Amino acid sequence: MLTLYKPGSGWLHRMPAGPKLLLVLSVVLGVSLLPSHWFSAGLAAAVGILGYAVAGLGPGLHGIKELGRQVFAIRWVIVITVVSQLIFMGPEPAVANAARVTAAIVLAALLALTTRVTALLDAIEAGLRPLERLGLDPQRIALLLTVTISTIPVLGRRASEVRDAQWARGARNNPRTFVVPFLIVALKHADELGDALTARGVR
Amino acid sequence: MTKHSLLSNLPAKRRLDATSLARVAIFAAIVAVMGMPGGFAVAGGVSITLQTLGVMIAGAVLGPRLGALSMTVLMALVAIGLPLLAGGRGGIGVFFGPSAGYLVGWILGAFVIGLVVHAGGRKPVLWRTLVGMLLGGILVIYAVGVPVQSMVTRLPLGETAVLSLAFIPGDLIKAVTAALIVMTLVRAYPRAFNRVWATKKTPVLEPAK
Repeated sequence: MLTLYKPGSGWLHRMPAGPKLLLVLSVVLGVSLLPSHWFSAGLAAAVGILGYAVAGLGPGLHGIKELGRQVFAIRWVIVITVVSQLIFMGPEPAVANAARVTAAIVLAALLALTTRVTALLDAIEAGLRPLERLGLDPQRIALLLTVTISTIPVLGRRASEVRDAQWARGARNNPRTFVVPFLIVALKHADELGDALTARGVR
Repeated sequence: MTKHSLLSNLPAKRRLDATSLARVAIFAAIVAVMGMPGGFAVAGGVSITLQTLGVMIAGAVLGPRLGALSMTVLMALVAIGLPLLAGGRGGIGVFFGPSAGYLVGWILGAFVIGLVVHAGGRKPVLWRTLVGMLLGGILVIYAVGVPVQSMVTRLPLGETAVLSLAFIPGDLIKAVTAALIVMTLVRAYPRAFNRVWATKKTPVLEPAK
């Protein structure tokens, strides 16, 4: 399964998932709440660059290159924000708000870049444990998330099988002719999955 | 009923059994797969994702609570860094971006669609399904999405609403398509809904004298 994780050994990589989540969230929230002035544009950009520079993503300029990739990935968000705000509000809010939103998104990406999905799943399970008294079952939630993760590639393969079968019969790429057979295949898989879970003692 | 009691480990309350768990997981995965490359049609260079179509169908097939739960599962997986949104987007960052509200709206939208489509425990009919799609799949999602977008980008609410109008035609097409797909499922694969519908009382035939 493809994830956004990039292996590494910097201090952010080694930090436990729970505290790292809180750290990243507080920095992102801080940047998000900056006022819409020129100085916040500079500050947001500075925090973003600093964050990637000190995160220990790799030797030399590796962190900054990664920042470039992250900014490029959300280029359309940036363009739409800048253009719409230029039209309706003028240059200062346009630049400040675009910088603020961009910095928040790329800084938040540091979490996924430096943390394995399994570590975050464990952190979620641990974080939900105090809620057990309220009737929440952290293990069942973790099971639900894990089962979903392992199901996605399976359904991805089923989807391309359905698509191939239709191409072979000369069908065009039409959502309606694709979705119904795919749904039925997927729901049959759900029945099998439910039986398999029951057979393994999940009631 | 809240999600707490749904996921309860207390025997007295209703908990998520294996069948429901599998169906919730499958629908979260279906919506994820619908956002993958090849899963959408391209019209005029702009890719139209099928993900909201998946959200609408999830609510209609799973019903309100399980539908909302499956969208919550999808959002949780996105938040922990899986690139499951259309265009390979993912990570906690999307919940700080302009589209955050629309994504949270999926959860509420699936819930409302489930409520309307299965109102009174009756078998889905086309008009009720279509109303559900328009109400939950468009109105509710925009009602959450537009204010949050306005808050994130600090563009006033009115202007943000005008911007979002660009997506309305596509969403209308998706709502109609989703309703037709659900009706096809009702006829072709009623097992999908995993529930017994309330039936009309059939008139008892008088025994022949």
